[in-house]
Amino acid sequence: MSPPSAETSPAPVAGRDPDELRRLYTQMLRIRRFEEAAARAYTQGKISGFLHLYIGQEAIAVSTAELMKPGDRVVTTYRDHGFAVALGCDTGACMAELYGKKTGLVGGNGGSMHFFAKDHGLWGGYAIVGGHVPVAAGHAFASKYLGDGAVTLCFLGEGAMHIGATHEGMHLAGLWRLPIVFVIENNQYAMGTPLRRQTAVDDLTVRAPSYRLTSDRWVVRDVFETRARLAKAIDRARNDEQPGLVELLTYRFRGHSMSDPGKYRTKDEVEQWKERDPLFRAEAELRGQHGMSEEDLEAIDETVWGEMDDAVRFAEQSPHPEPEHRFLGHLVEDDLAAAAGHEPVQEGN
Amino acid sequence: MAKIVELPRLSDTMEEGVIAKWHVAEGDKVKRGQLIAEIETDKATMEFESFDAGVVLRLLAPEGETMAIGTPIAVLGKPGEDVEAALAAHGSGGATAAPAEAAPEPAAKAAPEPAPEPAAAPTEAAAAPAPSATPAPPASPAEGDRAPGRIAASPLARRLAREHGIELSSITGSGPHGRVIKTDVEAAAAGRAAAPGAAPAAASVPAGVELDASGRPLLVRPDEPVKLSQMRKAIARRMSQANAEIPHFYLTTVVDMDRAVALRDQLKSAIEAKVSFNDLVLMAASRALRVHPEVNAYWDGQTVVRRGNVHLGVAVAVDEGLIVPVVRHADQKGLRELAEQARDLGLRGRDKKLAPQEMSGSTFTVSNLGMFGIDEFSAVINPGEGAILAVGAIADTVVVVDGQVGVGKRMKMTLACDHRVMDGATGAKFLATMRGLLEQPLAMLA
Amino acid sequence: MPLLQIREALRAAIDEEMGRDDRVFVMGEEVGYYDGAYKVTEGLLKKYGEKRVVDTPIAEAGFAGVGVGAAMAGLRPIIEFMTFNFSAVAFDQILNNAAKLRHLSNGQFTLPIVFRGPNAAAHMLSSTHSQAFESFYCGFPGVKVISVATPYDAKGLLKSAIRDDNPVIFFESEVMYSVKGEVPDEEYLIPIGKADIKRPGDDVTVITWGQGVAVALAAAQLCEADGLQCEVIDLRTLRPLDDEAVLTSVRKTNRAVLVYHGWPYGGTGAEISDRIQRLAFDHLDAPVERVCYEDVNMPYAENLENLVIPSPERAAEAIKRIAYVRV
Repeated sequence: MSPPSAETSPAPVAGRDPDELRRLYTQMLRIRRFEEAAARAYTQGKISGFLHLYIGQEAIAVSTAELMKPGDRVVTTYRDHGFAVALGCDTGACMAELYGKKTGLVGGNGGSMHFFAKDHGLWGGYAIVGGHVPVAAGHAFASKYLGDGAVTLCFLGEGAMHIGATHEGMHLAGLWRLPIVFVIENNQYAMGTPLRRQTAVDDLTVRAPSYRLTSDRWVVRDVFETRARLAKAIDRARNDEQPGLVELLTYRFRGHSMSDPGKYRTKDEVEQWKERDPLFRAEAELRGQHGMSEEDLEAIDETVWGEMDDAVRFAEQSPHPEPEHRFLGHLVEDDLAAAAGHEPVQEGN
Repeated sequence: MAKIVELPRLSDTMEEGVIAKWHVAEGDKVKRGQLIAEIETDKATMEFESFDAGVVLRLLAPEGETMAIGTPIAVLGKPGEDVEAALAAHGSGGATAAPAEAAPEPAAKAAPEPAPEPAAAPTEAAAAPAPSATPAPPASPAEGDRAPGRIAASPLARRLAREHGIELSSITGSGPHGRVIKTDVEAAAAGRAAAPGAAPAAASVPAGVELDASGRPLLVRPDEPVKLSQMRKAIARRMSQANAEIPHFYLTTVVDMDRAVALRDQLKSAIEAKVSFNDLVLMAASRALRVHPEVNAYWDGQTVVRRGNVHLGVAVAVDEGLIVPVVRHADQKGLRELAEQARDLGLRGRDKKLAPQEMSGSTFTVSNLGMFGIDEFSAVINPGEGAILAVGAIADTVVVVDGQVGVGKRMKMTLACDHRVMDGATGAKFLATMRGLLEQPLAMLA
Repeated sequence: MPLLQIREALRAAIDEEMGRDDRVFVMGEEVGYYDGAYKVTEGLLKKYGEKRVVDTPIAEAGFAGVGVGAAMAGLRPIIEFMTFNFSAVAFDQILNNAAKLRHLSNGQFTLPIVFRGPNAAAHMLSSTHSQAFESFYCGFPGVKVISVATPYDAKGLLKSAIRDDNPVIFFESEVMYSVKGEVPDEEYLIPIGKADIKRPGDDVTVITWGQGVAVALAAAQLCEADGLQCEVIDLRTLRPLDDEAVLTSVRKTNRAVLVYHGWPYGGTGAEISDRIQRLAFDHLDAPVERVCYEDVNMPYAENLENLVIPSPERAAEAIKRIAYVRV
């Protein structure tokens, strides 16, 4: 695939403070290393199920986390680890969830595709394509209802742009002027299907006016730029009753999931995108413009790897959930009963 | 320390993989994320990027060989690092050994096949061959529904009948298809109570109580489940398994024991050895097994395995059930030694003082119920063996010798055989040899 | 005591709860300006305004999902399906979101949401608009399921459902909205999970819910001629099931018939039947019978529809059969 046509590259963004870049770079690196550690654990057979990695898209989660105010929410897809890490969830708890351990982010109930960390603003990783879009609209509906000033950020893949629930959710958000921004992370492939075989249009923001959503669209290659442009959309949703639709052109360097060999794309294409990789570019900028030494960069990497090794160790040493845990959590009463020390009740037994 | 690179799992269903192509050679420097190999999984050929950085110290896995996930395929580290130490620390010899085992397909298949371990089979249970009693008839057909065909009755009717002590078979069902229903049982109970109305005591007898001829109520005792000992459980399990899996057939022969009885009497006084008839049987069996190794054999699930050694199991009744201590290498032992060992094992067995290994590894078993006055019986083969000999009592029998009616000492032996291992003629020949030895016992001692 | 229609009792419940808690709101097709397709929400828009009585486009997946999301954020939505037949479009939202999010998030969220609307056959609506959904919604954990047959139960249970912190599926019936019954003036709640004996008897237990209740009561009446006294149990809540009420009665009568709207294969009727045979086996004097839809798609033609839907006569036949009354 040729580079996307929407290279609406803006003027250089002001305020490229080296320390800030270094901080954002470290955050992106943390996500990448988390995913690599997860991939390693997967290849070692230590974790199972589906594992969808965020490698290549880190700048989006990191930018988002920068912009969130208390009460704001992120609702995303099953490719959800990056947001958890960016939003400050403990990487040990994240890794433990992949291991299905008691100490996991959701106690081993959800695994890779279902990360929830309400207190960190992560209102869920959803594994049914498009199913979360109306739910996110519902969060925004509540914000408007309660007047709490919060914004909901709903992330979806470009593959989710073709299913009914997505459009119903966007439609209602536009109709009711809800404080929400829908962010399409267009990583070019819905599993192995390229965009051109998913939809008749190549600019997904053409959907925006039909729902009266504001729109913006850019290639994610710079974390500063991404943060700045996302900030505008969020601001309009929060303050001007202007729900938005943003399309971010990005790329995942790994397959759709661990078992995907990625044969549907060429080496050249991957290499082209790697040159746009915000992480790679940030590193180059730190090394070049800001004169950061190889040792300093390596030190950051070692620190980050240290965190991930700790996370893996934590996950591996954590206990499995107690067998009784499987009976819990379906209804409020289950948890109340458990807290009171009663036997869990199962319908039908 | 050098790092071991293992064959990665690249899909959720992948169990083994093949290095389709190495992209690095020994001595190459590798960065994190660098493509080092292409690996064929069950789904596709995947590119494998290194999780670690370093110099390739050794490539352990050749291209094209099938390996299990987790098999070491390469060692990364600093030049000059000790590869062997790293492999040792990793707890594996490396792929040089591993793929050799796993490589060719038939071998790879054979390896993980759970071969039933011959030694393990008899080892497992302290228990073993029981006289194959035909399933005991129920002590009392309490539920009354075992009589020809099952009686249709509602669950409630069954329960009520049980409570009243009425046999369902005695009730005519009025429900659909003759189903016995609640009202039928109640009517029967009322009729029962009314019938002995002539008897003076009847009025005070509650419904459902049975009376004897003189009108006294019969005592009703409930069934009681028995808490099983581990031995009972083991016997139940292994005998069910044997009966279900082994196609048994049975051969019975009569042995003239006149000479054997005489010999035993002589031995008793001559050498003061305590030699039982069973010891003579054990001796004969051990010798006959050497002559007929096809009987000293078992079915391992796929093929017949002939046992090299003759280890005789001797069934011994104990309080909780029975045990089978083993006289090892019985064919190489003289009568005296055999007798002493059998006796010692039996005594210690009754006192529960046998070590597990003294009750395992038998290749053929002898069960003798002669001392209980049993003439003949058949036994269940101990899984892991091909046959079992069931020995009855020596009895004074009317015999015809040379046209003259006389009295002789005769003993019946029944050999139960696994038909997968041997056929009728095989077992018959073995029995003939045994009979010959027991009828000419001196030859056996010679 | 005033006589109310079921629709009025439901409206009273919603009205009282909206008055009591301003986080309660109603959302659905035609609930506002149209005053409700079946007039359950009549007058509520006028009283509470557009903010709390929200008309939606025809977008069940959308507004069911919005309800779920709003509930997670602390609101207490009442989502009206014009009929539960349309909930099929929103099934994913209920199955994969409402019922699962508490569990998936390991208890981080509560989902105080009611999905309500008419269920099962009405009259000559044919197959796509005559479906009984209890077997679908009772078939997975994470929700409660209610089905009401009287104005009194409708009001008391809907109020409990709105106050419940879990997703509740609340079944009504098109043909029963006008059924009248006594409803007290003073406030009351009926606990979720409790069955009600609508008619006591010693001979046969008749278990029913929703539209089946009237059929069962009529059948019980028919059986009186044969000297049979039926105990008619209205389950009212289908999940969690009131096992004790059912089993106590069956242990007394030794026989049970289920009378309900729904297909025979699997589902709620089969579940209850299973529990009876398993938990009261030694008390059964006859097989458990089920009188429900025939295993066909609902025909439009009136005469055919009457054959498919359980009738008092069909129910009475089954009752007599298991009571071993010669017919």
